[in-house]
Amino acid sequence: MNCLDYRRVLLTGDGETEAMRQHRLQCAHCAPLFREHGAMENDLRRALEVAVPEGFTERLAESLATQRPVASAQRTGRRRFLAAAAVGAGAIGLGLYAWIGRDDPMAMASIDFVIKEEAKSIMMGAMPRAEAESRLADSLPLASIERIGQIRHISPCPFGGGMAYHVVLMTPQDKVTLLIMPDSSRRSRASASHDGLYASVVPLRKGSVGVVGMSAAVVDSVVGAIQA
Amino acid sequence: MADPDFDAAVRSHAGDLYRYAYWLARDRQQAEDIVQEALLRGWRAFPRLRDPSALKSWLFSIVRNEFLRLVAKNGPAMQSLDDPGMEVSDERAGLFGLEMRDALMALPVAYAEPLALQVLGGFSCAEIATFCDTTEGAVMTRLTRARQALRRLIAPAEAAGRKGGES
Repeated sequence: MNCLDYRRVLLTGDGETEAMRQHRLQCAHCAPLFREHGAMENDLRRALEVAVPEGFTERLAESLATQRPVASAQRTGRRRFLAAAAVGAGAIGLGLYAWIGRDDPMAMASIDFVIKEEAKSIMMGAMPRAEAESRLADSLPLASIERIGQIRHISPCPFGGGMAYHVVLMTPQDKVTLLIMPDSSRRSRASASHDGLYASVVPLRKGSVGVVGMSAAVVDSVVGAIQA
Repeated sequence: MADPDFDAAVRSHAGDLYRYAYWLARDRQQAEDIVQEALLRGWRAFPRLRDPSALKSWLFSIVRNEFLRLVAKNGPAMQSLDDPGMEVSDERAGLFGLEMRDALMALPVAYAEPLALQVLGGFSCAEIATFCDTTEGAVMTRLTRARQALRRLIAPAEAAGRKGGES
């Protein structure tokens, strides 16, 4: 290691490796730089640690506590609706019942994403095609997606506690949203229906994908094409 | 995981989540709103979190997501996370002799964010890269430039004078 390498790594703040330490102990130029860096890091930490408003954590806990009954009530209401819908669905066919009766959390989250996050994700801009090809090569290659429909948007997004790739796809039948999760594996297909949207999450060679559309038929069609 | 786990995590990380939100939004009230809204969303999504060891980074990521939501809603008044936008050295050259906190304020969010994640969150360059969906190299570059910029910005007044004398 030379002085240039030492300084380059030191400024990233990722800590001093053993090789760096050995260099510093023998270098008259880097030893004082290390001391100066340490002092600056202390200043930096103090500066970043802005004071948290008094009672903030308590207000936060209170806010969560007061919101929970509302959220729980909403979920209960949703379950009642789903149950009622399932009864109705039974009258018109077991296939539709299967859609509404299930409430897979990831499929529900995919629907929530389309309702609450999709517009923002599109506004934030698309990722370069070459990068998308590289990131999705092992899970769902762009060429495979383009056999199903025309890609209108693709971008990375935080989803389900990890990173996903948001794809807006125009198929011959309708617009469909894909949430490709290369790091979230799944054994089998699971589905959900909520707020007039239908979603299925299916396993990929690597990871999984959430498919969200306006009808069960179009979601089934896209899932079939993905799994073909 | 049960709700008590979420409550404990919130209590444990609330301070650093607030500070992170503050360095994104640069506004105390907005920081508080961002964390509060993010944690409400987080509580709803909490049952879907499969890896308890990822809880801390997940909490930081939902705060980041909430900030991005505000950016999308409020438009260009807030700074972009992805585009540093300016060369710190050129644009801020007249600001020698600042205190560290003022110098941090002078940094674009794209530089201040990885610093906050590294110093406050204790995340490595690789973790920050995953978190911000960029490369480790890009994170290292931003961290280096951020520290170089801070050194210049907080340099004592005589350094500025010396520089002026040289030119």
